[in-house]
Amino acid sequence: MSLFFKKSIIAATGLFLCIFLIVHLSANMLLLLPENLARGLYNSYSTTLRESILISIIAYLLYISIIFHVIYAGIVTYKNRQSKGVRNVMNHKNENSSWASQNMGVLGVLILIFIVVHLVNFWARVKLGIGENVKTDVAGNMDVYEVTFTLFHNIYYVIFYSILMIPLGFHLHHGLKSAFKTLGFYHKKGLKILAKTSLIYAVVMSVGFGIIPIIVYFK
Amino acid sequence: MKVTFKIWRQEGLETQGALKTYDVDRLSEDMSFLEALDHLNETLVLKNEKVIAFESDCREGICGACGVFINGRAHGPHDNMSTCQLHMRSFKDGDTIVVEPWRAGTFPIVKDLVVDRSAFDRIIEQGAYITAKTGTAAEANAILIPKEVADASMDVAACIGCGACVATCKNASAALFVSAKINHLNKLPQGQPEAHKRLLEMTTQMELENFGSCTFTAACEVECPAEISINSIAEMNARYVKAKLFG
Repeated sequence: MSLFFKKSIIAATGLFLCIFLIVHLSANMLLLLPENLARGLYNSYSTTLRESILISIIAYLLYISIIFHVIYAGIVTYKNRQSKGVRNVMNHKNENSSWASQNMGVLGVLILIFIVVHLVNFWARVKLGIGENVKTDVAGNMDVYEVTFTLFHNIYYVIFYSILMIPLGFHLHHGLKSAFKTLGFYHKKGLKILAKTSLIYAVVMSVGFGIIPIIVYFK
Repeated sequence: MKVTFKIWRQEGLETQGALKTYDVDRLSEDMSFLEALDHLNETLVLKNEKVIAFESDCREGICGACGVFINGRAHGPHDNMSTCQLHMRSFKDGDTIVVEPWRAGTFPIVKDLVVDRSAFDRIIEQGAYITAKTGTAAEANAILIPKEVADASMDVAACIGCGACVATCKNASAALFVSAKINHLNKLPQGQPEAHKRLLEMTTQMELENFGSCTFTAACEVECPAEISINSIAEMNARYVKAKLFG
């Protein structure tokens, strides 16, 4: 399998995950509403997602994307390290490239750790029924709002969730624009717009996801 | 002026190398960096020591023969400049200058600062040319080429094949070099008949040589003496998809 194909898989799955993050953040914004509104809306939204067949298909695509993104990134990184061989005694990489672009693997591992913890906190409890039982609200929906509310009143989780959105921002900034280039987007002006879009996207995602736990904590 | 060189000395591929320190005096800041190495070598000859092996040819930035890692940067501290165009005035009196060879699994060390870049030649052999026998020089206007196309082709044709892109890349990827060679010809009407074949064979050879893959750190476009943009790599990727689909 060619290098181009392997890189394309990382790029395509990455872009799909980028789209997912937009939807995810939009829905999470519901948590910022006053509690009497937020609880009902958030829980009914989460029930709708769980009961939709279309969303189930997308959810499987999501699991596959994450797994393929991680596996192929691992394979490509291993291969690239082998290609490089002996490293320089002195190397001032910061003078010719961004820190994020040189450390996508490290950033990716941090994000993976976050995803695992995040899945244990929510997905395992709500969807798989593992761990503490989730109560239902007055409308009969699973009270996912309560799960979130309780979790984000633990200061350690707030710190964990908020801090790890910083590597996410760096990863997205480099990843988004590079994915397009890997897939062969080379329009000169378009690439300039893409670079700016990637920065805005990364900041919005990083700050957006990062600030929610803090706001919920003080609610 | 006086500087301290720390230079990588290695007898051959199989032997261990190490940085060796040389204090060099009576240098002029008008000297080129390579002249400073020449000066050091002359003192080594007088002391009956082995001279430092390094490559150079035209010394005017167009042949691509020279190229070493200087103070943690390919071709030294400046962006888009070959080693031969670097002068001692870029350093201060009393500076320590660390000099290493290109580092990449695909560029095995021959001796000291000299590496074997023949992997590039083998990629070129796979199609960085046009097979049609053209005879004597054709009439210049026989094939009309829009200026924008000619300019874009020339931009990438400027690649001198020095290998700085591979050396500075954390993945030892040759994508910038290969994309320059492919796009140079594939943009022009003369390159069209063999466009897909050229692209597939050259990229296949690139992988056989064990170069890494491009992750767009963009370090290469900063170090490239010919200022080739990484957009050239994105364009190669687009052409690759086209070649796979229609080639």
